[in-house]
Amino acid sequence: MNGIHDLGGMHGMGPIAPPAEEPVFKFDWERKVFALFCPAALAAGFNVDEFRHAIEQMDPAHYLESSYYEHWLASFETLMVEKGVLTQEELDARYDELKGAA
Amino acid sequence: MPVLTKEMAPAIIAGGIPANMDDDVAASFKPGDKVLTRNINPVTHTRLPRYARGKEGTIHMCHGVFHTPDTIAHGKGHHPQQLYSVAFEARELWGDDASGRDKIYIDLWDDYMTKVT
Amino acid sequence: MPHDHNHSHTEPPSDVVLRVKALESLLLEKDLIDPEALDLIADAFEHKIGPRNGARVVAKAWTDPEYLERLRTDATAAIAELGFSGLQGEHMAVVENTSTVHNMTVCTLCSCYPWPTLGLPPVWYKSAPYRSRVVVDPRSVLAEFDVSVPDDKEIRVWDSSAELRYLVLPERPEGTEGWTEDQLIDLVTRDSMIGTGFPKTPTDIQ
Repeated sequence: MNGIHDLGGMHGMGPIAPPAEEPVFKFDWERKVFALFCPAALAAGFNVDEFRHAIEQMDPAHYLESSYYEHWLASFETLMVEKGVLTQEELDARYDELKGAA
Repeated sequence: MPVLTKEMAPAIIAGGIPANMDDDVAASFKPGDKVLTRNINPVTHTRLPRYARGKEGTIHMCHGVFHTPDTIAHGKGHHPQQLYSVAFEARELWGDDASGRDKIYIDLWDDYMTKVT
Repeated sequence: MPHDHNHSHTEPPSDVVLRVKALESLLLEKDLIDPEALDLIADAFEHKIGPRNGARVVAKAWTDPEYLERLRTDATAAIAELGFSGLQGEHMAVVENTSTVHNMTVCTLCSCYPWPTLGLPPVWYKSAPYRSRVVVDPRSVLAEFDVSVPDDKEIRVWDSSAELRYLVLPERPEGTEGWTEDQLIDLVTRDSMIGTGFPKTPTDIQ
């Protein structure tokens, strides 16, 4: 699809600004999301191209604003629902529950 | 539903998930062949970047037979086909302001290209 | 009771943290994930697998002509000889820098990167500025890394659109004649294997 992910040749994305050092995972949630890839793929039965395509379907503005592992999280959420492992209602209800408790 | 256990994890990390296939599928191109990439704009998944559509390149090398992202992303089968590294002159992709020396190499599937004769 | 905390109790967890917790807790309840497996996977890429692996490949290629030849003919097998294989390195290709060619790698469509040899990619490699610019203007990208490649040198940018993962084999620095593989490893930087840097020189590490 002609999506926002297809970035090659675009202008205006700003400087690269590579830092001298950076941790492998900046936050604990990133570590969790990274580690979920293989277990989630096996449990839900999705392949890497379904995973990539689910990222491509993110809202384009949000794609550019969000961090890398949030792309993975969005893909997992989409695929878990698409593959019938979880329902959107389950995810939303659990989110609301956690938010209320926070 | 299958669960990835801690006993399985080391083998998956070290073994990975290979994408090549044993199917014997003929190659439409060989190294040195001039090819033209198709101008396709599917709403579905593809690994032919927009910047390399409708462009002329040269087959650099054959990687062998691989499954096809465009079909497996949509539950439409593996569609095994040849995969190539294709070299494009920077000026072919970006016009005369680009360096006349630089090249961009992209991995592309047989279906994405036609032969230029 | 006073106690140490490295997090704040006053700020609510962010939306994304809650989404991760929601997903994780539901998968746990349904017995679809093994927390020990998750920890093992994260730990492997956080602490065990990193650019030191790729540096070993490069240093061996610099000192062992027969290994270099094997790397050219079957990079996946040659890299596996050293014990580096697996996820996101199932199919490897090595591209060699020479006096006339400088190679760079990118994944413009997502974030493909050779995990077994380089570990997980830095954030900039996965971000829009690098992915958008390196194919159209590699020389300005190199300038941001303080790398200068002469105009008469060819730059080859490898966009890893398939499952092939590319490792740049940088040129061996001058002044390292007679150095052993173990000494040379310390000169090989992550960026020199992506193509956004050069290896260190003997004077750099003195």
